[in-house]
Amino acid sequence: MTARDAAKVIVVVLLFLTVQQTLMLDIHFAGIHPDIMVVLPIAAGIIGGPSRGAIMGFGAGLVADLFLPTPFGLSALIGCLVGFGVGLSTVALDRAAWWLPPLAALGASAIYEVAYAAVGSILGQPQMLHVDVVGIVLVVSIANAIIAVPAVRLVGWALPQVSAEGMPGSVGPMGSVR
Amino acid sequence: MLISITIITLDARGDLGSFTSGLKSVASDAFSPIQSGVNAIVRPIGSFLAGSVHYGSVRQQNQKLQTEIGALRQQMLEQANAAKALKQLQALSALNGLTTVKNLQQVKTEVIDTNTSNFASTIDIGVGRDEGVTLGMPVMGSGGATGGLIGKVVAAYKTTSVVRLLTDGQSTVGVAYGPGQYAVLQGQGAGKPLMAQDIPANTPIPPGPAFVTSGLQDAEFPPGLPVAQKLSVKNGNSASDETVALEPVADLAHLSYVSVLIWGPQTPGTPAAGGS
Repeated sequence: MTARDAAKVIVVVLLFLTVQQTLMLDIHFAGIHPDIMVVLPIAAGIIGGPSRGAIMGFGAGLVADLFLPTPFGLSALIGCLVGFGVGLSTVALDRAAWWLPPLAALGASAIYEVAYAAVGSILGQPQMLHVDVVGIVLVVSIANAIIAVPAVRLVGWALPQVSAEGMPGSVGPMGSVR
Repeated sequence: MLISITIITLDARGDLGSFTSGLKSVASDAFSPIQSGVNAIVRPIGSFLAGSVHYGSVRQQNQKLQTEIGALRQQMLEQANAAKALKQLQALSALNGLTTVKNLQQVKTEVIDTNTSNFASTIDIGVGRDEGVTLGMPVMGSGGATGGLIGKVVAAYKTTSVVRLLTDGQSTVGVAYGPGQYAVLQGQGAGKPLMAQDIPANTPIPPGPAFVTSGLQDAEFPPGLPVAQKLSVKNGNSASDETVALEPVADLAHLSYVSVLIWGPQTPGTPAAGGS
């Protein structure tokens, strides 16, 4: 990855962070707001495979943790696992399929939120299981499914020449199959 | 993944505590101007859209505000008499060495963000170490006739701070609800009532903000701050106990401006009250 590629990734992460910390905190349904930082490892997993999904999950999660009152490193851990899982589970799929990003975002976001609450409670924050986890899963998953397509395009622009790791074909910089 | 687990473990053990809080402070201070700038542009648009989507609740809120305006006008009329009574009360309080919100230094500020995480009940406020805010300081919000405690500062950065609200699952407040009657209020999550357990059965609890901070020795809050009022009572762990559900006096759902009380357990002139 060149310095230019790294700069692009940083720009995308900061863009998502800014939108999350401003717009998204003002949008809430039954007191629950969307969490678009979760989309980053999912999109990176779809675009770049398991290892890039994991790296994006760790990096974006660590940045998100700087602004969260929950245990530091928790978002990085879950993001890392989810990014890797998405990359691995979409290996055999046509990654250019239009339905893949929304579906992956819907499922992976739900897994992310449940794992986040469960691991958080294991780490001495039992109140994380006492909140409306079902509501959080619904709001975050649906919101992320809606923004999944543009998110995948943005991450596709930022990530360098996409690896062919486990992919059926080479994928262009905008996430489309060549 | 191993790095994440290592970071979490070190942070939980406290080995990374000062490093991560320093990092969070730098990130918060660096990001604050960007956040303010973007908020200044998008909040009016967001408020307009939110107003369209939540028309019913905005209307309800408007009605509530109209009622509050009416109540405030009524209060203004009564203020002349109240001022006289207040002078007498302050004189008595001074004699007893008690603390009141009025004679504590306050820093008023705007709420920047609410619930940055869906898993914790916190707010970000626009004052920090530069204004003398430090960890553990009590924060008051509007609601009821006097306002009430909303939580305490759990992170103080240079220009912003994080306040953990009473409703957060990690919040506990020692309260008094009568002479020699004490309880601990426990948060249950955003939007859920506070719970006070092990209240002796059939204890008469007056209506209104009957639960105030106890201010017992080494308490986290000064004595006498209004905290909560009774919602309902149900059977406790044993036949002699009850569990009381309470709602905070302050309106935690609509916090716009709050006051940080410049107070710590060691603040001079604030002796422990409550008979400890």
